[in-house]
Amino acid sequence: MAASFDFMFASFIACLILIVIMVYFGIHVIEREIIFIDIALAQIAALGSAVSLVLDNLNIGHQHHAQEHDSRTFIAYLFCLLAAGIFTLLKNKKLKIPLEAIIGIAYAVATTSAVIILDKGAGGDVHIHDMLAGTILWVSWHQVLRLFLVVLVIGGFHYFFREKFKAVTLAYKGQDTNITNPGTWDFIFYFTFGIVIVEAVSVGGILTIFAFLIIPSSISALFATRWTMRILVGLLVGGIATILGLYLSWVMDVPCSPTIILFLAACLLLSVLFKGILKYSNLLRRKNNN
Amino acid sequence: MLDNLLFLSAPITVSVLLAGILSYFGNHILSRGIIFIDIAVAQIAALGTMIGLLLGSAEESLNVQLISYLFTVIIIALFSLTKSRKQVIPQEAIIGIIYCIGLGLAMLLAERIPGGSNFITKTITGNLLWVTWDKVLYCFIMFLIIGIIHLIFWKHFMVISDTKNGLAYSLWKTRAYELIFYITFSIVIVKAVPVGGVFLVFTLLIAPTAAATLFTQNWKKRFIWSWIIGILGSILGMYISYTLNISNAPTIVTLLGVTVILLVFGKLASQKLRTINVKK
Repeated sequence: MAASFDFMFASFIACLILIVIMVYFGIHVIEREIIFIDIALAQIAALGSAVSLVLDNLNIGHQHHAQEHDSRTFIAYLFCLLAAGIFTLLKNKKLKIPLEAIIGIAYAVATTSAVIILDKGAGGDVHIHDMLAGTILWVSWHQVLRLFLVVLVIGGFHYFFREKFKAVTLAYKGQDTNITNPGTWDFIFYFTFGIVIVEAVSVGGILTIFAFLIIPSSISALFATRWTMRILVGLLVGGIATILGLYLSWVMDVPCSPTIILFLAACLLLSVLFKGILKYSNLLRRKNNN
Repeated sequence: MLDNLLFLSAPITVSVLLAGILSYFGNHILSRGIIFIDIAVAQIAALGTMIGLLLGSAEESLNVQLISYLFTVIIIALFSLTKSRKQVIPQEAIIGIIYCIGLGLAMLLAERIPGGSNFITKTITGNLLWVTWDKVLYCFIMFLIIGIIHLIFWKHFMVISDTKNGLAYSLWKTRAYELIFYITFSIVIVKAVPVGGVFLVFTLLIAPTAAATLFTQNWKKRFIWSWIIGILGSILGMYISYTLNISNAPTIVTLLGVTVILLVFGKLASQKLRTINVKK
């Protein structure tokens, strides 16, 4: 038991770090109503690493392992930068198609071209599966530290300029904000988001990150309106779901990422029910008072 | 050459059929702004198929299809239930969550089915090349029936999809039409996903109409242009995939997607040029 606990501790810490930053970004994403931007960015980054994987395969033996990893992350970042640029440019009222449609198309193209590329290598199926589900169970302390540093730097940056980012997000909803050059801040938002996504996906897999991003902040939207409060609520729910998910996946011998996702979904369902009961009892009380 | 043509004729026919019906639905989906509903529905349909497989039925048997339809109808019902209330969580987020849960469950199940992760890849890429003429005929009849239903109600569907002007009908009349629309839509999706894969279906829905919408706002013109773009894209993609020896559905997706993104940039550039000219 103690050994298993020790073994899972790193993945638990990694999940907590991921949830902290993802809840924050999740609120932004939900307020902007560009839910699928993250899954698209993640997929584009994954396409970047698939490309570099193939490039590495082409000249096997010329590179050391560490170098290979660096080049892969570098290409993934490059793809993210490109995507951030595209999304910023195409946020334009004059185009009659919603940004969502473009995000969707980018997602579809990135996924299927990754499939085409990985098809050329051996064990493509396994790569695709890993890309989606991630390998959070096998995370090393080294990776956790690296993740922590990235989250710290980007989180700090966002904390420092929080008013700017908030203003850009509110401007998406059509509110008047007197922010100068929103395009630049938009670009910075997408790019920093992209960096976090690259790091997070390499630890948790696309689907887990998507769940961390959307579900906790949806739950918090039910109960709180202030951003700090929302982050805390999301963190609490996410933490509980992670502990339960990791434990159950260990006991029942099922993959842990989908289990965590299902627990998060269960939490969402429970909180929707809870909210409904709360509303109903309030209604009853008001009726009784009258 | 003739052999190749014969071999490819069934896949080409089915992809033209898919392009035809999906580009039509795509116009509605884009106008409603629920871009990702189809990818969620597609994922749920795939999940239904996997559950059917897990219960021991053969792939493409009646049982599997029934389970797949059942799942999709439940999700559509859920989705329309969440629609009427005042929105705290945006609709897109609900769609996202449905998608996420669907894929997560599919991955859990994949561990239990022999060759499961292979199946996930198959849901992504589809099975366009090995489609039989029986299936093509079946698809054709199905799409014909749905097409006729839509031909009868086409005006009403356009009215309810254009939500900019508020509800045109009473609430219950709107809901009745919505139900017909969504049920026919989900039948098409359930039918199309095993053949083309999640992403081909998604791209054929969104990409052609997105390209058409860039240049015209008129419904009829949008239908016609999206049909042309969708069908041409599928045929061309099929040809390219054959000559380059890569999987065909991903090729069509990449071709159509890249075309749309290039068109959008072209449109932006031309607008920029025009404003510069006006300033001069």
